[in-house]
Amino acid sequence: MRISRRLLAAPLLLLPLAAAAQVDVSSGTPGILERLKGLEERLAKVEGAPAKTSLSAFNPALGLALDLAYTHGPSDKSNFRFRAAELNIEAPIDPFLKGWAIVTGSNDNSTPVTLEEAALQTTSLPWNLTVTGGRLFAAFGRLAHFHDHELPVTDRPRSLDTVIGGETRADGLEVSYLFPTDTYINATVGLYDKMGAENDRADVTKSRSLYEFTYLGRLSLYKDIGDDHSVELGADSAWTPKRFVDDRAGLGVNTRKNTWRTLNGVDLTYRYQPAAGGMYHGLVWGTEVMQNDERRFDSNDLPTDRVRSYSGFSYVQLKLGRRWRPGVLVDLSEDLDQARKLTKTFSGFLSCDVSEFQRLRLVYSHQLDNVPGSRGADIVSLQWTGVLGRHVHGFRDR
Amino acid sequence: MKLLLTVLLAGSAASARAAAQFRVVATVPDLADITRRVGGGLVKVDCLARGTEDIHQVVMRPSFVTRLNKADAVVYLGLSVEHAFLPGLLDVARNPRLRQDPDTLGCAGPGCIDCSEGVSALEKPATLSRAEGEIHPQGNPHYNLDPGEGARMARVIAAGLSRLDPEHAADYRKGLQDYLAELEPEVARLRKLAAPLRGLKAVSFHKDTAYLGRFTGLDFIDTLELKPGVAPTPAHLEDLVKEMRSQGVKLIVREQQYNPKVCEWLAEKTGARVAVIGTMAGALPDTDTFLKLGARNIQALLQAAAPARLTGT
Repeated sequence: MRISRRLLAAPLLLLPLAAAAQVDVSSGTPGILERLKGLEERLAKVEGAPAKTSLSAFNPALGLALDLAYTHGPSDKSNFRFRAAELNIEAPIDPFLKGWAIVTGSNDNSTPVTLEEAALQTTSLPWNLTVTGGRLFAAFGRLAHFHDHELPVTDRPRSLDTVIGGETRADGLEVSYLFPTDTYINATVGLYDKMGAENDRADVTKSRSLYEFTYLGRLSLYKDIGDDHSVELGADSAWTPKRFVDDRAGLGVNTRKNTWRTLNGVDLTYRYQPAAGGMYHGLVWGTEVMQNDERRFDSNDLPTDRVRSYSGFSYVQLKLGRRWRPGVLVDLSEDLDQARKLTKTFSGFLSCDVSEFQRLRLVYSHQLDNVPGSRGADIVSLQWTGVLGRHVHGFRDR
Repeated sequence: MKLLLTVLLAGSAASARAAAQFRVVATVPDLADITRRVGGGLVKVDCLARGTEDIHQVVMRPSFVTRLNKADAVVYLGLSVEHAFLPGLLDVARNPRLRQDPDTLGCAGPGCIDCSEGVSALEKPATLSRAEGEIHPQGNPHYNLDPGEGARMARVIAAGLSRLDPEHAADYRKGLQDYLAELEPEVARLRKLAAPLRGLKAVSFHKDTAYLGRFTGLDFIDTLELKPGVAPTPAHLEDLVKEMRSQGVKLIVREQQYNPKVCEWLAEKTGARVAVIGTMAGALPDTDTFLKLGARNIQALLQAAAPARLTGT
């Protein structure tokens, strides 16, 4: 009985709609069915349309960091330094590989344009392995593989320049393994021609025996201490089994005995990132200590003694507001030839993050040798850095 | 002996249960909450950002890498809002199910659950230039501030979990239904509750209130920040005071992570009142779920806007 009532009621309910449609048609406006048909056609066009994209969709991501500085001192003289225009190009190559290149132009007359990095890296190897090959910044220490504009101070800590020779730039191969544990533990082994952008111990354009390459091992460990604190520890060793040197004085001396070199390092980074994520408050304390042990050569490439020297630095950077980050850095560097000759550098710096992509930084440094009669040098720098284009925060330079 | 056996059996059962669970990493606490509700005991959810943080400045911690390395899925807001941490972490997570998407700054791979799927993005930028601040090319990404988006987000998560773990699809559907049964009446209640806010003019610290404005009817006319991500400047604040006075703006919305002093100064200058809201679950006390955050935000807005409503401005 109920069903029959509903059947009777349905046409009655539909009558007004049908009447409305007839009215629409008679009045010259499209009817409901026609409008529905039109909508369906438009929807089909949208659904079937090719994805909106540009012809540059497969082009690599580009970013350019500009880094300028005005420096006063030492010797009471000043200059503007165009430190770097660093072009970063990066893209996936296929499902298994990505690649990047970093080309830097600077006011260095000898090499105004330098290929800093050009590397390929696997993205889908099993067992938590990653292989990186090409020209890369070797995974030694922490700040040693930061690009200049990403350092906490304007100039690279002297100890890194002394021991490594600038950044850890190296031509070679690295294999890294992430331990499948809840605690972050990462191990890296590397094989390189040499390590250090300004390291002139080996001529990388010539082929040589495997025992003249540099071998690296690094282990890093990270631990959260509660919500607000964290500690990161690293230990590394770079070993070059032999160095082959012909003397420049023409005495016919070839040296390859007792020429192994080891460069060991430990680094510790403590971070305080309070509940608001460090937006207005925070602290980073980083310390690195390195030991260099090698046979040294004089200016004629004649062998001298084996020297073991130590270098290192420690810095603290505070966050005191959304923009302001003051800090201090102390660097102690022993001379590689005379380990007793020590250079101390004390720096104070203040960074102002105008936005995520622009930073101003003022640095004062006082440098002092422990050589009798040497006078300290004072240097003041004002650095201005900006980033154009795509900018993705990298995990390694965090 | 019996006691020892019992403990051992209980321990092994617990570890077997944990291993059998579907491992999900959620980028923000809101998504972690919804995923737990939809997935129930079948999922083990880890969260990356803390609710009190600014999502644009979440720091990449190596401990996040190990979580993503073992994850079966990552649930994220998308529209590039996690640009500070998600792409960098995915790049080193060594998880074939989850890779960095270089185009969207999100996730690419079978394990990605993008909760922006199906959202009607607001404030799509007319020009893509950093001169406009830290804008998001795909539109305003802060849709999680709209309680009305919860149902869509839950559906996306349920669909994602069902796709990745089809054996338990029926359970996820059930979890979704149960959650929606709780969510939808509460959202309707909040919508009614927020009705008095409709048409009121307000300013916010950051440009993240577009969706909250859509839900409440509040008309956000400007921000304290000069541009998105660019801290307020004195000249801009002076202009803002004039603008607020001329338009009769009596409500300042401060997201809890931003500096209260600037808002207090502005309130003193304009006679407006400050409402403190959270932008992620857990941002404020007793807001550990998506729904609680939505309710807390509406209450804060109503409380701060009460005098303005009485005077009719």
